[in-house]
Amino acid sequence: MSFWDARFLWQEPMIAALVGAGLLGYLGFFVVLRRIAFVSAALSQVSGLGVATAFWVGSYFGVSPHDATPPWFSPAAYALVFACLGAALFTLPSRSKRVAPESVVALAWLVSSALVIVVLSSPRIAQEAHEIGDLLFGNAVVVKFEHLVQLCVVAALVLVMHGVLFKDFVFASFDPETARSLGAPVRGLDLALHMGLAVSVAVSTRALGAMPVFAFLVLPAGAALLFSEKLKVVLVLSVTFALVAAGLGYYLSWEWSLPTGPVMVALAAAPWGVAGIIKLVRRS
Amino acid sequence: MSLIELENVVIGYRREAPLSPPIRLQVNHGDVIGVLGPNGAGKSTLLRSILGMLPPLEGLVRNPAGRRPRIGYVPQGHRLDFAWPLDALQVVLMGRAGLAGVGRFYSRADRAAAQARLESVGLGATARQPFRSLSGGQRQRVLVARALAVDPELLVLDEPTSEMDPAAEHALLSLVSTLVTEKQVAVLFVTHEISAAAGFAKTVLLMDGAKRFFEAGPTEQLMTSERLSALYGRPVEVRRENGRTLIWLSAQQPAAGGAP
Repeated sequence: MSFWDARFLWQEPMIAALVGAGLLGYLGFFVVLRRIAFVSAALSQVSGLGVATAFWVGSYFGVSPHDATPPWFSPAAYALVFACLGAALFTLPSRSKRVAPESVVALAWLVSSALVIVVLSSPRIAQEAHEIGDLLFGNAVVVKFEHLVQLCVVAALVLVMHGVLFKDFVFASFDPETARSLGAPVRGLDLALHMGLAVSVAVSTRALGAMPVFAFLVLPAGAALLFSEKLKVVLVLSVTFALVAAGLGYYLSWEWSLPTGPVMVALAAAPWGVAGIIKLVRRS
Repeated sequence: MSLIELENVVIGYRREAPLSPPIRLQVNHGDVIGVLGPNGAGKSTLLRSILGMLPPLEGLVRNPAGRRPRIGYVPQGHRLDFAWPLDALQVVLMGRAGLAGVGRFYSRADRAAAQARLESVGLGATARQPFRSLSGGQRQRVLVARALAVDPELLVLDEPTSEMDPAAEHALLSLVSTLVTEKQVAVLFVTHEISAAAGFAKTVLLMDGAKRFFEAGPTEQLMTSERLSALYGRPVEVRRENGRTLIWLSAQQPAAGGAP
């Protein structure tokens, strides 16, 4: 069966990959320039802990993951709540000079990762471990329609928020001290930025997988900064690199029977190689 | 009516380690106040308290007009991250963010004002150049243009001439002097350039957090060899000739330490 003939199989995952990649490629601009790449990785892990916790709590109340879950046991709701709490934690100002902010991020990542393993090894949810693993770390090949809808809604909301607050996000990120001196609510803006990132990471991870999400947040924006010094061009390039990596990655993985996520990651890294070659050619 | 009043304000980050005794200070329209002191004296901390970024440990920062004055702030340039792909005009436009308001786009008037401020610091032609590609002195002037874009009543400058050559320093101080004369803008600046403070400031604040020392007064009265030598812990010579103040570090060891 040709790729095009099989479109009923890949339509939804492909749309999810493109929407997620476009959203993350845009957010990557802030992630890279604010130097918070590992905040996104930690948020992904914290939201995963939320999913695992939802199953674990549900097991005490006899909620089967195969049935329609009530909202208070919904893994998606737990993932969002956990991710938002993580975002709030990372926005809190550090009062201690002895503890670097990266240490708090690393602590959250490690504790969440360890707790996910502990929760998944619980005999109460051992049978669902594989299913939970898919929910935690995603699977870019198969995406449920409800996850695609959630991803589209989150992408729309986050992009609208950024459309309205873009200039304020840039100012508060570039020079928070001066922004504060002009009365800008820098902490509120940071919180909004982190919340948007948290929700995007939580929803995208289930649709695309943890590795592609991290890659789309860091690699396209980082590469775009190597190609241009103009804000608009960097944004356009970052989103374009992410979209190409997602779309072409899905197609190539289908044609060559390769794992989808790693192919997307490799393509997202490709512009770095191109930038390096251009630099070498210019030097020589 | 003064713009800002400090009523027995004690600055610092921790109650157990204050960086000043209780400070009383008024900043009026047209004042030019230089803040001097050694590294770690708490000069930038004082600015942060005045800017409202750091609540005082004790006392009150008052706005007698009933509202916060419009403040143009020039931070130390090296604190900024030059990885951001911003051009000079985009940096200056940030000065209009407070006037535009959160969630509002910059208007055409904001863009025109930003361009005009950039031209006023002699950098109109660099509007579309990447901020990071400018020299240290040019970047500092862009930051001054951004502070001017606020249409400030009070200009707060944290070591504004630290990356400038003497010509650029003179040009900047002349520009600020014009603002003071024409628009009655008040200026509060931190500097390590003692000569610049002597030539430009009408009032100086001498401070050293480690010694819990703070003194404010007219420049001619406070800029003396004894006071400056004690403040910096090194002999500082001050001489006034033909209406100019010459200040230099002497090779001799200080006669006495401690607060002036």
